[in-house]
Amino acid sequence: MAKHSRRDFLKTSALIGSATLGLSSTAKAAPENVLSEDRMGVLVDTTVCIGCRKCEWACKSAHDLPTASIETYDDRSVFSNVRRPDDKALTVVNEYQSITSDKLPINVKVQCMHCDHPACVSACIVGAFSKKENGSVVWDTDKCIGCRYCMVACPFQIPAFEFEKALKPDIKKCDFCINRTASGKIPACTEICPVEAITYGRREDLIRTAKEKIKNYPHRYINRIFGEYEVGGTSWLYLSSKEFEQLDFPKLGKDPAPGVSEAIQHGIFSYFVPPVALYALLGGIMWINKNKKHNETDTEN
Amino acid sequence: MKTKILLLIITLPLLLIAQNKIDPSHQNQALKCNMCHSCEIPTKEKLCLKPCPRDKMVTIEQTPGESPNVITIDHLRSQTDLYKPVKFSHRVHAEMSGFGSGCKMCHHYNPPGKVIGCSDCHEASRKRTDISKPDLKGAYHQQCMNCHRQWSGKVECESCHALNNSKQASVAVQEKAKQGNIVHPKIAAPEIVKYDTPKANGKIATFNHNDHTKTFGLDCENCHTDQSCNKCHAKNKQASLSSRTVADKHAVCDNCHNVKTNCSMCHSNSVKPGFSHVARTGFDILKNHSKLTCNRCHTTKAKFSGLKADCSLCHGTWTKENFKHAVTGLQLDEIHSDLDCTECHQEKNFAKPTCKNCHEDKVYPKDKPGKMIKK
Repeated sequence: MAKHSRRDFLKTSALIGSATLGLSSTAKAAPENVLSEDRMGVLVDTTVCIGCRKCEWACKSAHDLPTASIETYDDRSVFSNVRRPDDKALTVVNEYQSITSDKLPINVKVQCMHCDHPACVSACIVGAFSKKENGSVVWDTDKCIGCRYCMVACPFQIPAFEFEKALKPDIKKCDFCINRTASGKIPACTEICPVEAITYGRREDLIRTAKEKIKNYPHRYINRIFGEYEVGGTSWLYLSSKEFEQLDFPKLGKDPAPGVSEAIQHGIFSYFVPPVALYALLGGIMWINKNKKHNETDTEN
Repeated sequence: MKTKILLLIITLPLLLIAQNKIDPSHQNQALKCNMCHSCEIPTKEKLCLKPCPRDKMVTIEQTPGESPNVITIDHLRSQTDLYKPVKFSHRVHAEMSGFGSGCKMCHHYNPPGKVIGCSDCHEASRKRTDISKPDLKGAYHQQCMNCHRQWSGKVECESCHALNNSKQASVAVQEKAKQGNIVHPKIAAPEIVKYDTPKANGKIATFNHNDHTKTFGLDCENCHTDQSCNKCHAKNKQASLSSRTVADKHAVCDNCHNVKTNCSMCHSNSVKPGFSHVARTGFDILKNHSKLTCNRCHTTKAKFSGLKADCSLCHGTWTKENFKHAVTGLQLDEIHSDLDCTECHQEKNFAKPTCKNCHEDKVYPKDKPGKMIKK
């Protein structure tokens, strides 16, 4: 990934802005926003996860975030609260008690879902976010201006912001271990998981495997893969024994999240007709008012 | 040229035979090729194996006693390991699996032949192309954790792994297993279980365990199917019992008995006595049929439907010529042995003979038409 500084970005945007002024081309996704057939994903089998939280430790270590020693992660008292990923922990595991107390609790790992049609990419006004060929949704820190639109746009409320940093605060979220995968390794969480509840592989293969599992063990799983169709599909996929909405998964439709916002935004600015029409209307009102005033002064005199 | 052709003629059939030769490990197996192979003629190069047919073909001809006692799992050893290899107490686990579904609880895929372990199928590398089955580390842990966290609730690594920097060779329990002195205590089967139920009419449900195992000859696994360790070792057993629904509680009985209509079979206001054929049906099987198993007469599988109290259903047609009355313990005297069966046995069930046809003042069994003999 080529590094761009903020100055570069301003330069290019000024150039592009002047070049396309008046041409009103429809905003096309940047060339790096590709949806490769071989994009990777992760299948999370919540019926296998034992809630050991080793993935939390591995994630922090891989991203140079401060962390306590691995032994401290055996402490299960953290499960008394439902936690969310933030700028200090890019992934967290939560625990949900089963209705019948003799059944095992259900542990659910939460992190960025790496959408196929990411709302953050669409919402980012400086084009810092992008969907990469390997399925990951990542952002360029140097381009980011800290507007935090991505945080608002995300249907899973994942991107976090380093509010405590006064200088150069950054957006933080799971980056699918882009640096590890670039050097041929697999994401840190998928590598450490002792039970392989999280399987890294081609998204297509993962869906095939998940469907096979549901077919072979109909009593173990509900017949649904979360992320297969949600908001147009996500790279991270989940299997569960219980409806996902009961495990704090958001209730989402099948349409990509940017669909609505992009339609409105692009609609407003398409061919510059609506802004021109708005100014024409305002000008018209002004002109009428001016005429009226003129007439009034005329009659007074 | 001729020799070349000759050579070709000789080698061609040999080649074909070699191709069709069945692998020696497959011989003497009553298996159809298409159980495992998707193509008609599998070759060594192209095995075209179907994905695991799982429990359809699990065959392990080894008793827990013959199995290895302790297995050291060190397939995944690496320099950076935090823990020592696990000394897995295999034999104790194999014995305990008898409470559940046996060897296949762990050996969920084992075609006939040698017993295969996890590492024979599961890849050691996590980064792999075939993700249809977990990698070796995942497979081991899934297998262990599935039970272990159920009854201890613990997921700490150190319950199975000894730390690499510790002096201990393995976890204390594993050391004990190595000496061979860990056994699961025998499970005592109850004779009669009495349940207090909220049912207004019939507060006590009696379950006669003895009847089911001894009289009806059911095996443990006929009712105790796929039992997990959790069944006995649950963390809060009382809570799990109280959370059971009415349907859950009746589910096991429902396999054989109609629990919707037949309440009084188990529910009563007092503890019910054990099964007695004569009390239930009026036909005393202890007299002449005590050595028979239930299914000799009740031939419909699992569901014991009543018979029509008609001896001829099993015994064909009896006449005075082909039936030796002495087998009943009553040797008929000369006069009576000339009579037709129906003279005395007017009812088809042969239960209550009558003397009224000839004798007005005689009653069976006070008066006998012969002498009692030892059977």
